[in-house]
Amino acid sequence: MKKANFIVSGVFAAFAIFIIAISMGYPPSNHGVPGPGMFPILIASLILISALVLAIQTLRMPKSKDTAIDLKSKNVLNVYITMAGLIVYIVLMPMIGFIVATSIMLVLYIKWFSKRPWWKCILISVVFTIAIFLLFGSVLNVPMRFGLLI
Amino acid sequence: MLLEVLNSVFSFQILLFIVLGVFTGICIGALPGLTATMGVALVLPLTFGMEAIPGILLLIGVYVGAIYGGSISAILLRTPGTPAAAATVLDGFEFSKRGESGRALGISTVSSFIGGVVSVLALWLISPQLAKLALRFSAPEFFLLAVFGLSIIASISGNSLAKGVLCGALGITLSFIGIDSITGYPRFTFNNINLLSGMSFIPVMIGLFAMSQAFTTVEKIFTPDQVTQKISKVWPTRSDWKVILKHAPISGVIGTIIGIVPGAGAEIGAFVSYGQAKRMSKHPERFGTGIPEGIAAPEAGNNGVTGGALIPMLTMGVPGDAVAAILIGALTVQGLQPGPLLFTEHTTLVYSIFLGMFVANIAMLLLGLSSLKLFVKVLSVPKAILTPMIFVLCVVGSYAINTNFFDVGVMLFFGILGYFMQKADVSVSPAVLGLILGPMAESNFRRALLMSEGSYTIFIASPIAWVFLFLTLLTLLGPLVGDALKKKKSTM
Repeated sequence: MKKANFIVSGVFAAFAIFIIAISMGYPPSNHGVPGPGMFPILIASLILISALVLAIQTLRMPKSKDTAIDLKSKNVLNVYITMAGLIVYIVLMPMIGFIVATSIMLVLYIKWFSKRPWWKCILISVVFTIAIFLLFGSVLNVPMRFGLLI
Repeated sequence: MLLEVLNSVFSFQILLFIVLGVFTGICIGALPGLTATMGVALVLPLTFGMEAIPGILLLIGVYVGAIYGGSISAILLRTPGTPAAAATVLDGFEFSKRGESGRALGISTVSSFIGGVVSVLALWLISPQLAKLALRFSAPEFFLLAVFGLSIIASISGNSLAKGVLCGALGITLSFIGIDSITGYPRFTFNNINLLSGMSFIPVMIGLFAMSQAFTTVEKIFTPDQVTQKISKVWPTRSDWKVILKHAPISGVIGTIIGIVPGAGAEIGAFVSYGQAKRMSKHPERFGTGIPEGIAAPEAGNNGVTGGALIPMLTMGVPGDAVAAILIGALTVQGLQPGPLLFTEHTTLVYSIFLGMFVANIAMLLLGLSSLKLFVKVLSVPKAILTPMIFVLCVVGSYAINTNFFDVGVMLFFGILGYFMQKADVSVSPAVLGLILGPMAESNFRRALLMSEGSYTIFIASPIAWVFLFLTLLTLLGPLVGDALKKKKSTM
């Protein structure tokens, strides 16, 4: 937990400095009425202070309270692979089309997670994808047709 | 007006939506890994094309059902279906060990119903008065109200005040993106046309609450859930009724009050009610061994939160919990701005929500008592198939709001961010509440200074302002003073 806290604190502090740096360039206050940069600077300063407080609290945290955070076990690696797969999916979907991209994505994940026979995975995936396509595309009138295929 | 309300709620279509919502909610709540917030976020895109009343009531049905449904897996599997049912596990699972899970589920159903009805009554009685009071608010009061809301969120929603503030401030910072409402100056848009109109609120919510939760489920996707036992004798016995009638109304009131407090949700409502019932009891040592009080109190408490959370949301635009924050999103999509004006300009809608929520609680009671066996079957739906489907729902849902793929990217980004925030023990709710309260604070702050021509005394010019200032100080300094007192006691 200690390490995670330091990372959280560091990332937020860097983020706050970034916000302040940009906001400095915004138009100034006008007749006592704050300009567009004032609130971002105020909130970013608050982030900076809280990040500092968190870092100090973590430094003073007794070792007994320090619990390990799982970021590298096999279960978590599965999550990373899932995330990567979804990024590929949403990048490719607008080009390929909803039905084809979604069916393929579902078949692969369901096969991986559930180890069911291929034909079952394909059946579940295609039926679900078409159901969602019809629900959103026809009933809710969301334009679902895009990409090379469907 | 009354006729209009009755007409709008008691039509076949609306009743169908309410029952459908409650049914879906119970299923979502019962499945471990699917929370009430996630359920409402996933159903939300379906309401975009609907009219306001059926859409909102569908979502409220999901909310009410999911908070109750969490108790089913808490009792049967020892895993709370939603965080709100965590307190129910303590006594609920003991019933199952004895083979009395039917009895436990019956107590939970009736208590949830009583808690829910108490909170709807409170919503009905309190909100119109509060809305009248809020009508007198102008910019300085709304600014201070938003600050008060933010301070309370930061101080109660997580284990660490610093992390709560960080997360809330992150939400506020996200709200800066886009064209500044007062000067028209584009902020943090990085010349990206998609960012000009600001960060789309709903994809952020779907990412933080549904997608990140789905990622967490993937961690345990290869570990199967236990098998469940048979359910019989759901209707509570005479002695159980006595316990329910003694504890559920009180817990319902406690839940409602906690629901009203911004940032405190059903989880806290359940634990506080459980603690209160234990303190009131003549035999507190028997809590945790499977006694009816241990189910009646938390279940009435968490459903009590449902109505309470809507009170500040409808009257002042301040969400009582994360679900109420999504409902603000749902209302905004319909072109409705939550706040005191809703009560004068859309009276039928407001009272239809009250009545519809009451009907939702009745639907929950009837479904709970009649179809428990069906809901128990839902527990055997494999998460290995369900989780990929949730991915699709998250993607389609965030695309549907503006039919823009940029929003899908935003959703996935916040899904991944939310996952790592959960890992680092940072609660994500403050971010969403910050995203709503941030603009409210900023625009009213600057509007107030426009009104006063730059004089800061406008923030202490009215009694209401003083009340909010006092409450804010109390919230921020209260825990510090409490800690100091504790330390003093322990050294003495």
